[in-house]
Amino acid sequence: MIEVRDLRKEYAGHVAVEGSTFEVDSGEVFGVVGPNGAGKTTTLKTVAGLVEPTSGEVRVAGDDPADADTRRSLGYLPEESPLYEDMTATSYLRFFADLYDVPREVADERIGKTLDRLELDRRETRTGDMSKGMKRKVAVARSLVNDPEILVYDEPASGLDPLTTNYVVEFVRDLADEGKTVVFSAHNLYHVERVCDRLIIMNEGEVVARGTLDEIRDEHGGVEYHVETTVPVERSEPHDGNHRVVVENMDEVESVREQTHDEGGEVLDIRTREPSLEDIFLDVAEGT
Amino acid sequence: MRLRKVLRISRWEVSRTAGGLDRRTLGFAILVFVLVAAVAPFAFDGGLYDELYVVGVEDDDGYHEAVERADTLRAVEPSWSAFSSGDIDVLVRDDIHVADDQKGEAAVAELRDAARRYNAGELAEKDPDAAFPVSVEINYVDRDAEPAEPGDTFEPVAEEEDSEDEDADDDDDGVDAPDAEEDVDDGFSLPSGGLGGIIGQGGRSGTPDDIAPPFPFESLILAFAFLVPLNFVVQAYSTSVMNERIGRRGVLMLASPVSRQEIIAGKTVPYFAAALALVAAVAAVVGGGWRSVVAMVPVLLIFLSLTFVGAMFARSYKELTFVTVFVSVVVTSYVFIPAIFTDIDPVAAISPLSIVVRDLQQAASAAPASWYVFSGAPLVFSSAVLFSLGSGVYREEEMFNQRRVPHKAVAAVASWLRRRASVAKVSVFLVPFVFAIQLLVVATLFALPVEVSLPLFFVAAAVVEEVAKSVSVYAGFAHSVFERNDRNAVVLGAISGAGFFVGEKFAHLAQLVGLDTLEIGRAALGVGFDVSPLVLVALFFAPLVLHAVAASLAALGACRGKRGYLVGLVAAVVVHVAYNLTVVGLVA
Amino acid sequence: MRSPRRLRLATRELASLRAEKTVVLALVIQLFIAAFSSFLVVGLVSLYDPGAGEVEFAAAGDTDELLEAAAGQDSWDVSVYEDRETATTTFEGGGADAVLLVERTDDSVDVDVLAPRGDLRTTLIVTAARDLLERLEDAERERLAAELNVDAVPVPEGGASPYHGFTYAVLVPVLMFLPVFISGSIASDSVTEEFERGTLDLLRASPLSDPAIFDGKTAAAVALAPAQAVLWLALLVFNDVPISSPVPLLVLVTGITAVAVGFGAAVALQFRERKQAQFVYSVGVVGFFALTFALPESSANTVAKLAAGSATTATYAHVAGYAVAGVAVYLIARRFGGRKLS
Repeated sequence: MIEVRDLRKEYAGHVAVEGSTFEVDSGEVFGVVGPNGAGKTTTLKTVAGLVEPTSGEVRVAGDDPADADTRRSLGYLPEESPLYEDMTATSYLRFFADLYDVPREVADERIGKTLDRLELDRRETRTGDMSKGMKRKVAVARSLVNDPEILVYDEPASGLDPLTTNYVVEFVRDLADEGKTVVFSAHNLYHVERVCDRLIIMNEGEVVARGTLDEIRDEHGGVEYHVETTVPVERSEPHDGNHRVVVENMDEVESVREQTHDEGGEVLDIRTREPSLEDIFLDVAEGT
Repeated sequence: MRLRKVLRISRWEVSRTAGGLDRRTLGFAILVFVLVAAVAPFAFDGGLYDELYVVGVEDDDGYHEAVERADTLRAVEPSWSAFSSGDIDVLVRDDIHVADDQKGEAAVAELRDAARRYNAGELAEKDPDAAFPVSVEINYVDRDAEPAEPGDTFEPVAEEEDSEDEDADDDDDGVDAPDAEEDVDDGFSLPSGGLGGIIGQGGRSGTPDDIAPPFPFESLILAFAFLVPLNFVVQAYSTSVMNERIGRRGVLMLASPVSRQEIIAGKTVPYFAAALALVAAVAAVVGGGWRSVVAMVPVLLIFLSLTFVGAMFARSYKELTFVTVFVSVVVTSYVFIPAIFTDIDPVAAISPLSIVVRDLQQAASAAPASWYVFSGAPLVFSSAVLFSLGSGVYREEEMFNQRRVPHKAVAAVASWLRRRASVAKVSVFLVPFVFAIQLLVVATLFALPVEVSLPLFFVAAAVVEEVAKSVSVYAGFAHSVFERNDRNAVVLGAISGAGFFVGEKFAHLAQLVGLDTLEIGRAALGVGFDVSPLVLVALFFAPLVLHAVAASLAALGACRGKRGYLVGLVAAVVVHVAYNLTVVGLVA
Repeated sequence: MRSPRRLRLATRELASLRAEKTVVLALVIQLFIAAFSSFLVVGLVSLYDPGAGEVEFAAAGDTDELLEAAAGQDSWDVSVYEDRETATTTFEGGGADAVLLVERTDDSVDVDVLAPRGDLRTTLIVTAARDLLERLEDAERERLAAELNVDAVPVPEGGASPYHGFTYAVLVPVLMFLPVFISGSIASDSVTEEFERGTLDLLRASPLSDPAIFDGKTAAAVALAPAQAVLWLALLVFNDVPISSPVPLLVLVTGITAVAVGFGAAVALQFRERKQAQFVYSVGVVGFFALTFALPESSANTVAKLAAGSATTATYAHVAGYAVAGVAVYLIARRFGGRKLS
């Protein structure tokens, strides 16, 4: 559905994205993850047709998103919710429905349904007088006003309270379940773990990891061993009155065990834990 | 560009603006209007010149009454001390004493008018016919500057110095209308149809006071009324454009399936329509016709396009206010100055406002069709280029940042560049601006003596031209469109210089307007003197070499960054000025 | 320690003007207007300049009185021809600048004037013709006054030059009032910008009182117009246009600026959006200036009198009125505006 090949984007003097390549299949939720300044937003903007690549190619359903008509099947949600604050929610949404050539009756029905679904009641309030959460809901509704096949969401949950965040994340999942293709970026990895089918991790403009969550886990961090001891050992930290040390392989586990014995203590517990995306992310970010 | 989309955006722009200007706002505007209308009768009473001059005169003097009746004069007790301290401008005591400064001169001129009015008034009380014993009819006639036949001049039979010795009266010439000749020689007056044979303002009769020199003061003031309300439209338009840039609001429209040109057109159309409606309304009020409205279209376009670019470049509302005021002043000067010469000099053809002035004068000969083209085409072309320049930064990458204006301008120019040949295109684009700026310089230096104004003009012209030629090359290097190396710099400079040369040659067609009648205007346009053909050919192509060499110098600097560019630019300007001075020396 | 903070806010406003180089733009605007107006003035003078050479009139008909009226002036030269035919032909051949055909009837003198059209000298020629014929009229009136026993006053010599009047009555007021208009506009912009960018709350969270915020946002704008006025006055004096009472002029400009700025800021606080605020502000200020024309002395006339040195007690009373109005409007706006901030 979306193809990005050797994407490179340079802004006067500095490189924002360097040689990134990925594909997004129809109906999947695709995450773009990375620290601030990694090039996530630039990548999504090129997909949305807002930014022209310096070199490389971006195709959305086979077409160039820089062509106005290609954008007909796209729904873009930027990181902020920039609304026309002098308009009411309804007239704002109608305006955009008009730009996307949605007939008035269809638009009104769709707007009504979407706002019902987003539980937004104050539809005749000027958007300027709305709370941040409400504004976000209007922005999300706007991205759906043309019933697009592809949704490009840049940090959909940024700056929202946990309740609204949760709501938006669930909403993204629902959209994917309805068969829409969703590309979204996030730095809160918890959400990505919950909804993404596949993802890329970006750092300093480059894609540093890609695949399903499991694939990335396999590639980037093996298993961790948490060893709990009664006495402090090298690199250990106090833990529940005892001491704990995290090591990466069995040899190290053995050396911890020996040290503990030498100190006259004993090993209380050895547990393995799968790395979270956050661990991998930190690992990758530090590694590059 | 799809008209349907454009109109759709326009419709929303209108409904939003109408919704924005709510009842409170309109109510306030109506209130102010009513208030102003209510005081208008009183307001017109108090003129600008009221009691500006002070006359010291005794109460029982005949002049006292004359002064009392004149609005511009104030009568005070005559006193020598007040006169010498400057508190009295004209002292009437036995004789009339006038303060030895400009104010005194102006004051006595006013006193003269007051005395004449007083005399007329006193006479009118006894015999209304006696008040205005002289009646005048003035007719304007086109004539050839050179005598048609040398033998046509006759010896006068008397002159004023020896008025005693001859009474050269001739009874046979009665009161028949003077048969003014129709010598349509300057290419700008339409044949007047021949009926009655009177051209220009037509026969006007009245007292000597009624003779108005053909300085179209009243029409000019009325023409001003066309420009003033446009400021309101431009103000709203600039806000509308600026608002798309605040808080990244415009990004969503850019993400929708409309092109940025459609967005810009859609946002501009309603303001253009509003401005046109205002112009039509003003025309209806002040007595202009369709000619005025048509002539104003290019002015509206340049006003809107300059404002658009300003709103795309400004970083804050405050800056925007300055930009709109600046635009307003520039446009007003540009159209107003040449219009002063509407009836006098072909230079008036530069400004569309001259057509309006002609129209308002209800002149028998309306402005010829060629004026519309000469005045309108450069403005229409310039506004197209300006809109294109502004749309170059109407992109997600540029429109939301807080970069400085020069950066934005360079980015906008860079958006025109694709390959090397593009720099020639940009140079051609910029020719009308260079031309317009040079005309403005001509207008501002006009007042100075030629020895001062000409060298100043040469420097100003060189700076403007060199910047115009090299800015595209600099933008290309700064935005990595071209690779920075000396070979590229020389090639790009040469291409740009050649492009400018071609554009300039087209602009020279403007000589047809007759701008070469002004000495400094000739300098603006280059050469066109009576010299040998060989020199002429050399002079025709010499600028090509000059433009290419100077532009390459600036380009060599440009590929070394900002500071290098400045150095290169200075070098280019020096070469250019030196060339200009040589050519003038050569020809003169 | 309230005032230093207020000062800091005002300094920031000034700094933002400086950072944007808008002041440079303001100066460029100023220079532009200066050039424009000097062009107008010089243009006017050169069009009317009596020293631009002698005007040659070809006269025919009953020319006795005309010749008498023409005597004693060297700015024109009247030659009498046999008949209208020869006079007109001479004119068309370039032997004269204009033709005067005089016909005397029992109670009036009729004159037909033929003047060239489309000539740079036309204005000069026609002005000379008017002056000459006005002299003729004066002579006729003097004769008739004696006949009818009317007390007429002798008409003093004086050439009309629009230069002085135009400079003081039109140019100086425009130069004094244009910066005022811009100042208020900036104050309004400065406030609406805070709303549009959502930064006003940051200011309000600071330990500044609301009136202090108001002062801080407007102080720079209030200072701007009088500063520009000082510059203008200096420029005028430098150009040999003496300014008689600069201090009252500045008081007047400052007073009106305070009105404009107070009003502009209050409108911005009320409407919070630039489009509306600027519209209401512009309409309001234009209305204010229109209203001053209903005063015994219009604002423009007050400026003209102060600049030219023809001020009366009434003029100074007007200046005091503007100062009071400025303080009053500003204080009201500050109170009302301070409340609107929350």
